[in-house]
Amino acid sequence: MLQAAKYIGAGLATIGLAGAGVGIGLVFSSLMSATSRNPALRPQLFQYAILGFALSEATGLFALMIAFLILYS
Amino acid sequence: MTYTYIQSPLEQFEINSLMGINAPLFGYAELSLTNIGLYFILAFLVIVGFNVIASNNNKIIANKYSITQESLYTTILNMVETQIASPKGQYYFPFIYCLFMLVLVGNFIGMVPYSFAITSHLIFTLAVSMTILIAVTIIGFSEHGLKFFSYFVPAGTPLALVPLLVLIELISYIAKGLSLGIRLGANIMAGHMLTKIIGGFIYQIMAASPLMFVIGIIPLVLLVGITGLELAIAFIQAYVFAILTCSYIKDSLDLH
Repeated sequence: MLQAAKYIGAGLATIGLAGAGVGIGLVFSSLMSATSRNPALRPQLFQYAILGFALSEATGLFALMIAFLILYS
Repeated sequence: MTYTYIQSPLEQFEINSLMGINAPLFGYAELSLTNIGLYFILAFLVIVGFNVIASNNNKIIANKYSITQESLYTTILNMVETQIASPKGQYYFPFIYCLFMLVLVGNFIGMVPYSFAITSHLIFTLAVSMTILIAVTIIGFSEHGLKFFSYFVPAGTPLALVPLLVLIELISYIAKGLSLGIRLGANIMAGHMLTKIIGGFIYQIMAASPLMFVIGIIPLVLLVGITGLELAIAFIQAYVFAILTCSYIKDSLDLH
């Protein structure tokens, strides 16, 4: 019973990854549109995009970490 | 046949004592070299050895290690210069460089199979990030004195909203120090657990039958791709850790 509840909880915790996916997609779509408007700024924009990618990816990983913790501890 | 079969993916993060002394001195003294300590020593030796080789016996002509080291140096210097624009910002460059090298080497040593990822431990990453938070607060007070408290009140706030906003800003100020450590630890921990779990699944698939062994090569290719992604994340997280430390220092130097 507890084991089943653990699996359900871990599955529910991964729903949070949807938000991280949307966030990463937004970061790179904005990078693309910004680069096509002003290609000269590409290196600087890419730096900010990598930073934004890492920040939004980390929020998804919090959900993933919770899922792992529910499953294995 | 004995396999080093690992049941839980969290088992790779366990801290074991490699050697040590337990003695009934001063109450009960326990002094031991754990595996996390061993890998810290290893990371230290790698960083120092890399810099010793890069100096190339003080010759003018650089070897390839010097060029690697110089390009890393330039990357971090550019980052510090763009983030902390005030002339005082250069004081913090050695600190940021040390931090970046420690996290980078820690991440990369963790990527070696069967080794131990020191940066996956929240005890280490949170200790570093909370130290940075305290240091940033001290910098703010020594630069601005009591005016540092204006950091918690954004300009142009109506007086009625001030108590609420101070509370919110204080919480976000503490949360940014916490999230700096949790981000690094969670990223590395989730990555290592993901590769371990997928590796366990692939092992079960490939051990089933000779036909499944051939089919199992397809997910194995996926696993190699994920490992490449983890290598990229190991660099990106070190970079992000350094860049966020820069921006926190800049926040307390300039007060927004």
